[in-house]
Amino acid sequence: MLTSPATVPTAAEQVARRTRRRVLACLLALAALAAVVVASLVLGVRDVSLPVVWQALTDPVAGDVDHQVIAGQRVPRALVGIAAGLALGVAGAVIQGVTRNPIADPGLLGLNSGASFAVVCAVWLLGLTAPSQFVWFAFLGAAAAAALVFSIGSGQPVKLALVGATVTALITPLITLVLLRDQQAFNLYRFWAVGSLTGRGTETLLVVLPFIAVGAVLAAGLAHRLNMLALGDDIARGLGQRVGVTRAVAGLTIVLLAGAATSLAGPIALVGLAVPHAARRLVGTDYRWVLLMSALLGPVMLLGADVIGRLVLPHSELEAGVVAAALGAPVLVAVARGRKIAGV
Amino acid sequence: MTTTLPATPSATPATDPVGSLRRRRRRRLALVLGALAVLAVALAGLALTLGAASLTPGRALLAAVGVGDDGDLFIVQRLRLPRLAAALLAGAAFGLAGALFQSTLRNPLASPDILGIATGASVGAVVAMLGLGLTGLAVSAGAFVGAGVIALLIWFFAWRQGLHSIRFVLVGVGFAYLASSVLAWMLASADQRDAASALVWTVGSVADVRGTELGVLGLGLAVLAVVVAAISRWQAPLALGDDHARGLGVPTDAARVGTLLTAVGLVALATSVVGPLAFVALVAPAIARRLVDDGGPALSVSVATGATLVLAADIVAEHAVLGVAAPTGIVTGLVGAPYLLWLLATHEKRTRA
Repeated sequence: MLTSPATVPTAAEQVARRTRRRVLACLLALAALAAVVVASLVLGVRDVSLPVVWQALTDPVAGDVDHQVIAGQRVPRALVGIAAGLALGVAGAVIQGVTRNPIADPGLLGLNSGASFAVVCAVWLLGLTAPSQFVWFAFLGAAAAAALVFSIGSGQPVKLALVGATVTALITPLITLVLLRDQQAFNLYRFWAVGSLTGRGTETLLVVLPFIAVGAVLAAGLAHRLNMLALGDDIARGLGQRVGVTRAVAGLTIVLLAGAATSLAGPIALVGLAVPHAARRLVGTDYRWVLLMSALLGPVMLLGADVIGRLVLPHSELEAGVVAAALGAPVLVAVARGRKIAGV
Repeated sequence: MTTTLPATPSATPATDPVGSLRRRRRRRLALVLGALAVLAVALAGLALTLGAASLTPGRALLAAVGVGDDGDLFIVQRLRLPRLAAALLAGAAFGLAGALFQSTLRNPLASPDILGIATGASVGAVVAMLGLGLTGLAVSAGAFVGAGVIALLIWFFAWRQGLHSIRFVLVGVGFAYLASSVLAWMLASADQRDAASALVWTVGSVADVRGTELGVLGLGLAVLAVVVAAISRWQAPLALGDDHARGLGVPTDAARVGTLLTAVGLVALATSVVGPLAFVALVAPAIARRLVDDGGPALSVSVATGATLVLAADIVAEHAVLGVAAPTGIVTGLVGAPYLLWLLATHEKRTRA
C-alpha cells in the first residue's frame, strides 16, 4: 500500500510512540497492582470496607477485630504476595531469556521441587519447624535442582521442560518417602506444598527480602546482556559479551529469586511461565521492559490468584498456588499450541 | 520394517532372506519371552517365600495349590498371592500401555507419568476418597474417571490439524502441573489420617488389592488385550511415520486415535486399582525394545518386562527400602526417573554428534 510521505512516521517518531506505549502499559500494570492490593486487603471471608482498612493502616484501634484482621493477616499476606510474585515473575523472565526458551519457569524446571525436598529433609533430619529457618535449605535444593536440570537439558526448549518434569518426578518419590517416615514433616509439608500466602508471617519475609532485592538488582543488570543473548550465543560473543559469565549470573539470579519465592509461598508453578509471556505481549521483546513488566505483573498474578481463591469457595479458601496453576496452565497450553516447537 | 510386507510364498527357506530373518526374529522373541518368564517365576517364588513369616519354597508352593496348614494357606493365598497377581497384572497393563504410547507418538519419552494422565487418576481417586468419602472399588472408579477426563482434555487441546506428538507431551505437562496442584490442595485440606492414606495412594502400591478389584483388573486387561491384538497390525507401519503408513493403507488418524484410547484405557484401569506406579510405562517398553531389537514396538515383550519389573520393584519396596514398608511406586519412580534423565542426556549427545 502506498501512503503519502507526510503520514509515514519517522524512525524517531516510531521510537517515541513505542516508548509511550510501553510507559502506558507499565502505568496500567501499576494500576492493576494497586487494585489487586486493595482487593486483597478488603475482600475475604470477612469483608472489610475501605474506610475501615484505611483507618486500620493509619490509626489502628487496639482490640478492634477488623483492624486486627487487616494488620495481623491481610497486610502480611499482601506483602508476601507482592514479594513472592515479583520474585517468580522476574525469575521466569530471566530463565526464559537466558535459555531462549518460551517453556521455562522455576516450577516447570524442577527448582521448586528441589527446594521442597531440601526443606522436607531439613524438617525430618534437623527437626526444624519455623519457616524462616527453611530459607537456606530452599536455596540449596533449588540450586542443586537447577544445576542438574541445566546440565542435562540445555539445548532445545522442549527438552529443558521435560528434564524439569523428570527431575520433579524423581524428587517426588524421595519427598514421599520422607513424608511417610515422618508424620510431623508431612503435616508441615502438605500445608506448605499447596502454595499459600498465609501463615508465613513477616518474620520469613524479612529473612527473604534481602535475597529478592539482590536477585532483582542482578536481573536488572542482566537486561542488556539478555537482549544480546536473544540474538544467539555467537552474536552475543561477537558483541563482546562473555556468555559464560551471563549464564552464571543468570543462574545465581534464578536460584536466589526462585528459592526465596519457594521458601515464602511454597512451590508455586506456572506464575514464572505466564507472566513473562504476558509482559512480552504488552511491551515487546526488549528485556529491560520485559523484566520491569514481569516485576509488576508477577505480584498482580499471584495476589490476584490469592484474591480469586478467597472468593470461589463459599466458606473456605482455595490457596493461591492452586489458582495460579489454573491460570497458568492455559498459558502453557497456548504456548505449546502456538509455536512451531522443535522435536526432542 | 519387513514384517509388514507380504511374504513371498514360492521362495524356498534356504534362499529366502525375508523368511530367514523372520525365523531368526521369532527365535529371538521366543528366547526373550522364555527368559523373562523364568525370571518372573523366580521372582514370584521369592515373593511367596519372603516376609514376616518366612516359608520354605516347598511349603509356599504347596500352600499356593491348597496344601498345607491353615497359617500357611492364609499367608500365601490371602496375603501374598493377591499381591503377586496385582503386581503382575498391573505391570503388564502399564508395560503394554507404554509401548502403545511410545510407538504411536513416535517418542520414547511419551509416558503417562509425564503426560499427566497418572496425576489425573490420582486426583480422581483422592477426590473420591477425601471429597466423597468412598472406599474400595468406588475409589478405583474415581481414578478411572480422573485419568479419562485428563486424557480427553489433553487430547482436545493438543489436537490441531492432527496430533503432533511434542504438542501432546507439552500440553500433558501443563495439565500434570494443574492436576498436581489440585492434589496438593486436596491433601492440605484433609485431616491428617486421611491425608496420609491418600498420600500412599498417589504413589501407588500393589499391597492391599482385594479380590473384586483384582477381578476387575484381570477382566479389563483381558478385554483391552484383545483390542490391542486387533489393532496391533497398524503399530509397525505407524512407527514409520504418517506418510509411509498411509501409503501402506493404514487409516492413520483412526489408527492413532484408537491406539491412544486403548492405551489410556489400560493406564486408567491399572492406575485405578494399584495407583500410578511411576515410570513403569516408560521403562518397560524401552527395555523390551532393547531386548527384541527389531525396530518394532515389541508389544508382547513389553507386557512381560512390565510384569517382571513391577514384581521386582514390589519385592524391593516391601523388604529393602530404608526400613519402611514403602509403596511400590516409590521404587519404580526412583529407578525410572534416572533412566529418563539418562535418556534425555544421551539423546542430546546423539543429536549433537
